[in-house]
Amino acid sequence: MRGIDAAAVSLPQYRLAGEAVEEAWGRSPHREMVVPGADEDAFTMAIAAAEQLFETSAEREAIEHVALASTTPLLDEGLFAPRLGRALGLGRNVETSEHTGSTLAGAEALSRAIDADGSALVVISDCPAGDPADGWGAGAVAFLVADDAAVGVPERAWHTDEYPGLRYRERGSEEVKSIGVTTYERDAIRECVAGAAAGIDDIERVAHAALHQPDARMPSRIAGDLPIDDEAIERGTVVDRVGDAGAATVFLGLARALGGADANDRTLVGAFGSGGAGAAFVLDGGLDTAGLADGEIPSGERISYTNALRKRGVLDEEEVAGGGARVSLPTWRESLGQRYRLRAGRCPDCETVAFPPEGACPNCGSRAAFEPYDLPNVGIVKARTVVGQGGAPPEFAAQQRRDGAYGVVVVGFEEIDATLPAQLTDCDPESVAIGDKLRAVVRRIYEQEGIARYGVKFVPTE
Amino acid sequence: MRDAYVVGAAQSPFGSFPDATYRSLFETAFERALDSTSGRFDPDRIDEAFLGTLGVGGRQIGLSAPAVTEHVGLHTTPTTRVENACAAGGYAFRSAVTAVQSGRADVALAGGYEVMTDTSADQTRWWLGVSGDTEYERLSGTTFAGVYAQMANAYFHEYDTDPDALARVAVKNHANGAENPNAHLGFACSMDDATNAPPVAEPLNRYHCCPISDGASAVLVVSEDVAEEFAPVRVAGVGAASGRVGLFERDTLTSIPASAAAAERAYERAGIGPGDVDVAEVHDCFAIAELLAYEDLGFCERGEAGILLDDGRTDPDGELPVNTSGGLKSKGHPIGATGTGQLVELFEQLQGTAHVQVDSPEIGLAHNVGGSGGGATVTVLERTDVGGAR
Repeated sequence: MRGIDAAAVSLPQYRLAGEAVEEAWGRSPHREMVVPGADEDAFTMAIAAAEQLFETSAEREAIEHVALASTTPLLDEGLFAPRLGRALGLGRNVETSEHTGSTLAGAEALSRAIDADGSALVVISDCPAGDPADGWGAGAVAFLVADDAAVGVPERAWHTDEYPGLRYRERGSEEVKSIGVTTYERDAIRECVAGAAAGIDDIERVAHAALHQPDARMPSRIAGDLPIDDEAIERGTVVDRVGDAGAATVFLGLARALGGADANDRTLVGAFGSGGAGAAFVLDGGLDTAGLADGEIPSGERISYTNALRKRGVLDEEEVAGGGARVSLPTWRESLGQRYRLRAGRCPDCETVAFPPEGACPNCGSRAAFEPYDLPNVGIVKARTVVGQGGAPPEFAAQQRRDGAYGVVVVGFEEIDATLPAQLTDCDPESVAIGDKLRAVVRRIYEQEGIARYGVKFVPTE
Repeated sequence: MRDAYVVGAAQSPFGSFPDATYRSLFETAFERALDSTSGRFDPDRIDEAFLGTLGVGGRQIGLSAPAVTEHVGLHTTPTTRVENACAAGGYAFRSAVTAVQSGRADVALAGGYEVMTDTSADQTRWWLGVSGDTEYERLSGTTFAGVYAQMANAYFHEYDTDPDALARVAVKNHANGAENPNAHLGFACSMDDATNAPPVAEPLNRYHCCPISDGASAVLVVSEDVAEEFAPVRVAGVGAASGRVGLFERDTLTSIPASAAAAERAYERAGIGPGDVDVAEVHDCFAIAELLAYEDLGFCERGEAGILLDDGRTDPDGELPVNTSGGLKSKGHPIGATGTGQLVELFEQLQGTAHVQVDSPEIGLAHNVGGSGGGATVTVLERTDVGGAR
C-alpha cells in the first residue's frame, strides 16, 4: 500500500524554557520551545530534515515528486521547492507542489504526495513568529512516500467549514494573530478535526493519535469528541518539547508516535487549518524516524530569554548602511553547486581538485575544463578566527547582533588539496581549533536585493 | 634601460580629516614633495603621473587621478590611476620608474591618496572587504582583519612563536610613530595596552590592527640627467608580483607568496640580498603581517620572525630597523597613499633627515602588499653619495 516508507526530523539546537517566557510575560503556553539560530529558517530546516532522510534511507535520484509545506515560506510569492531541489541535488524533472497559508499545509502536502506517482519527498518545515507568550517553536519533518511502504495510509478524510479569525497573518506581516475568543477557537478546532476523523472507518481501532496541538491540552479536547483515550495521544503530543512549529508540529508528533507503533497498530493524524478545515489520515504500522533521540524529541541547548529574542531578530531593528557584498544574482545562481553542495573541479591533466572550479588549474596551470567533483561534507580546520564586533563586513552585522561573534575557518579535506573559506555555526567558535573535524550544513548566508542567499557553513562534529 | 632616481618625496599628515578632500590632501603632499628636493622642484617639469587609490567611499570612482593632477595645476599632464588595493602606491611608483627607465619620461610623479574616515563605520567596513575574494572569502564573513587573523592562527599553530610577538610589533611601531609628526596614531603604547585591547578577530585585537586613515603621499622619480641637479636616491630595483586573491586559494597560510616573489625580483634587480638592507618599511597592516614580512623578505628563516623581534634586531638601534616611520600601525594606512608613503620614510632615512634616524643607512627596502597578498611590490632604494651602483 502507498504510504510513508521513511521519516526524518530536524530541529534547530536552541531551546527556550517556558519558565523564561513566563517570567517576562506572566504566561507561557509551552514547557519548552525550539528556537532557530539567526541563520536558520524554514528553508534551512527543510534541507536538514531531507538530508537526514537521504542519509539514512532514501535515494535522492529516485524522487519524482516534492511536496513542501510551511506557513513561513521564504517569500509571499515565489517558489520554494526549486531551491530545495537544487540544495538537495534532486533531478530537474521532479514535479513540485507547495502548500502554505495555514497549519493544514502539512496534511495537504502529505495528501498530495500520496496521490502522486513514484517516490515522493514530503517536507514540512515551519517557524512561525508572534508574541513569545503565544508560543514560539520550530522544526521540520521529512517523509518518503512510496508504494509498498512500511506504513500504509489506507484512509483520508476532510471536514471543512468557515471559521474566520482563528489564527491568521495579514499580508506583508510576519506575526501570527488571533481574535482570542477561546471557546470559539476550541470549538472550531474540535469540530474540524473530530469532524474529519469521524469520516474514518473503524476509528476505535486507533492505538496512537497525533492531533492538532497549538498547546498541550488541545489534543485531549479533540480526543474527547472521538472514541480515543488520553493514553493514545501521549506519544503524538510533542508541543511541550517543540513549541508551536506551525504546520510541522502535528507531524513531529506523528513521527514520534510511529516510533512507538507496532506493525498491527493504527495511528491517526488529525490536522487543522485556520479558516476552517480539518484533515484526518490513518496509518498502519510503525516506523523509526531519523533525527529522534531513541524515539524522543532531542534535547538542545537552553538559551536565555534575551538571547532567544536576539536570535529571532526581535531586538534587531537597525538598518545596516553600506549594503552587502556585490555578487550579482545571475552569477550567484551559476555558483549554486558550490554554495549548496561544495561542487569543486578536478583538473583532467593533473587531477588536482580546485574550489571553486574555475580558471586555470592551481597546480599545473592547465586551462582544460574541470571535471565536476563534489567535496565531502566533512572537512578539517586549517585556520580559524573569531570575528568580533568591528571585524564583520556590514552584510554580517545583523547576524552578529543576533548570534554574537562568529567563527570563520579555512576548511581543508582529507587527501584533497582544495580548501575553502566558510563560517562556523551552531557552536562556540572559541572551542574550535586547527585540526578539528567539521560537517557541512546549509544556512542563510546573507540577503541582497530582498533575496536571501543560502550556502554551506560548518558545524564541529564533536 | 637607464636608471631612475628619487629626488623628492613627502606626505600629508596621515590621520582623520573628514573635512579634507582627496584633492586637498594630495595637494599638501605634492607641495611638500616639491619642497623636499634640494631647491624647490619645478612642477612644470613633470611629464607624467601615476597615482594609486582604491577609491574608498566611492566618491570619485572614475578619473580621480586626473582630477587630482588638474587640481594641483599639472594641466594636461597624462595621469594614470593605479588600483591594486593597498599596494596601489607601490605599483604607481613602479609605473613611474618604468616610465623614466624607458625614456618616455624624464620626470614622473608617483603618489597616492585615500579618504576613509568620512563614511559610517558600516560603509567603511564594506570597503575594507572589497579587496579580498568577494564571492567566497568575504561571504564567509571576513574583512581583512579576519583573513589576517586566520593567517596568525595558522602561523602560531605551525611555529613555536609566542603570540605576544603581535603586541611586540605594536609596541615597537608605536614607539617609532610617536616621534613622527605625520603619524595618525603618534603615541607610544605599552605591552599591556597592546595585549589587552578589545578583540577584532581572534587572535588580533585592536592594537594588532592598523587604523583607518586619510592621507596622501607623493614621490618625484627622475632620470639621471635630472637627478644630477639634486641630491638623489637611486632606485636600485623594484620587484612586483601577484598572488591568489583569496587566502583559501593559496598553497600556504603562513606566508604571502607574492611578497616572497616580489622580494626575490627586487633583490635580483638591485644585485643585493636581504643581508644588505639597512632600513626597511614593511606592510604591517596587521601585526602578523610584519612577522610574515620578515620571513617572506628573507630577513630571517621561516618561523624565526619572533626571535628577530625579541632580539631587538628590528628596533631603530638594531641591525635591521623596520618601520621607523611607525609603519601602517602607528603612522596610518590611507590605502592608496601607503606604498609611496613608505618611500617617503626611506627617502628621509637615506638623506639622513628621518624623525627616527637610523645610523647612516645605505640601502632601504619598502614592502607594500595589496589585500591579503593578491599583489605586492618590494622597492630597494640606495644612497648615491657613497659606494655608487653595485
